[in-house]
Amino acid sequence: MKTGVSLYSYQQSQFFKELTLEDQIREVGENLPGADGIEIVDEMSLRYPDPGDAFVARWFDWMDKYGTVPVTMDVSFDVLQFRDHVMNHDEVAERLRNDIRFAHKLGFSNVRVLSTCPLDVMVKALPEIERLGMRLGKEVHQPMALEGQQVTEIIDYAEKHGTSAIGIVPDFGIFGFRPTEVLLAQYERRGAKREASDGAVELSALLREGKGPFDFADIAKQTAGNLRSEFKRFLTTGESIPALKGPFEALRAFADERVPQPSELDYIVVAEAIMQSHTSFDTMRQLTGHVVSCHGKFNNMSQIPGRPGEYHDLAIDYEGAIKALKDGGYQGYINTEYEGQRYSQDRTRAEMMDEVEQVRRHHKMLRRLIAA
Amino acid sequence: MFDNYLVRADSLRNDLVDGELVGFQLAVRIANYRGVYLSLHTGYFLEVDGVLYPREAQTFEVNGKPPRDFGEIRTAVHEHWDYDDEAILHIRAPGGLPAGEHVVRFQQCVIAAYGYLPTDEEWVKAPPSPGTGAGSDKTPHIVTYTLTLNEPAKA
Repeated sequence: MKTGVSLYSYQQSQFFKELTLEDQIREVGENLPGADGIEIVDEMSLRYPDPGDAFVARWFDWMDKYGTVPVTMDVSFDVLQFRDHVMNHDEVAERLRNDIRFAHKLGFSNVRVLSTCPLDVMVKALPEIERLGMRLGKEVHQPMALEGQQVTEIIDYAEKHGTSAIGIVPDFGIFGFRPTEVLLAQYERRGAKREASDGAVELSALLREGKGPFDFADIAKQTAGNLRSEFKRFLTTGESIPALKGPFEALRAFADERVPQPSELDYIVVAEAIMQSHTSFDTMRQLTGHVVSCHGKFNNMSQIPGRPGEYHDLAIDYEGAIKALKDGGYQGYINTEYEGQRYSQDRTRAEMMDEVEQVRRHHKMLRRLIAA
Repeated sequence: MFDNYLVRADSLRNDLVDGELVGFQLAVRIANYRGVYLSLHTGYFLEVDGVLYPREAQTFEVNGKPPRDFGEIRTAVHEHWDYDDEAILHIRAPGGLPAGEHVVRFQQCVIAAYGYLPTDEEWVKAPPSPGTGAGSDKTPHIVTYTLTLNEPAKA
């Protein structure tokens, strides 16, 4: 198993012009023992869609200089780009093929598409991926699970066609079992009640044990963003996608029993409990051969109580995730993807998180768990 | 994201054209962790001292080009607004703003998304109204800034 960093982790430092792209690559190459993998979001790290030949030369100079390796490029698609129509699958695939060629030019081995990318689009781009000897992976992001059609259809396609060029990029957020403490703290700064945070943690535990007040199957089909906007619509209008109405009603009742005079925000906080994937480690182990690379997602590295100098993310089961991949014989990269910085971005710069320190702690944890 | 930093704190100034104050301007950043195609950028909810300045009063200066209205920005389908870059939002307001502090309520509307959404067809017909939270990407609430007016900028 190899380690690296998605430079997504340094998005805040880049926004504030505290770290240049070269600084970020140097940090990975020089300050994270054993790590050499570089992952980027193309539209974050690069002049898009063409940074120019001089940049490409500089990019490879950096890789040499800092001993780093381009592993995976993360790409997106915005279906309203043309504004006069919604892009069809051919148009999305055309953009993807361009991004694949772009990634290849920069020496990346893999391209990651969003969890919402239709299989049809991936299949249309597959000949280009195969021609270039690369791999294409769909991100499996919470609240999606490894179980279910979105992953199964990819595995089935790969096995039926005997290709390893298409696969998955598990985001370790799927191994989260409660809302992160930094998100709950942000909600409380915005006026949510402590009882709502406690309710979210309690409901998460119940759902994890299979003792929750509703079934989870329909929820896991939605992205977290869509779930949040649908729940907000439900609170405002009483309407939602039919499949979500039952769970939403049960959720509201759960909150009413625990939170005194709940506000809309309090309901939203309790609803964070349904953003967890509840996926199985055994499925992870079985699917290891289809893993293109991994997003080592985390939101906050805090010291493990009673173990000075050792860190964990208290809301994500990393021990289980790493063990499953090890047992499955995983040889690829886990690239750190720090995301919790955004939960302090309502504050002043001085009160925001230190991305460099958080990623260093994460790598300390990865080294401990991989060696275990 | 970056709630307090989407507008640069020292960027509020009046726009001076041929010796006449035609409006004011603010320097803005994209409320996301990535850039997007410029066409997806559909305008701002902007209220200064209780006065609402609609999309029709706004022009947008980015990528070294002169300010464009949001009808023109809509056609910039192959031009990208990169993550690192600041842009200038100009507001038509004859006479500009008076000196001193101003309360600015602000929300950016960018119809970028994670793939297909149920609202896609509706937003092809008309993008959501700025300020509703819809199509506002990673900062779906209105952010309030208190900004001091600086020396005017000459066009």
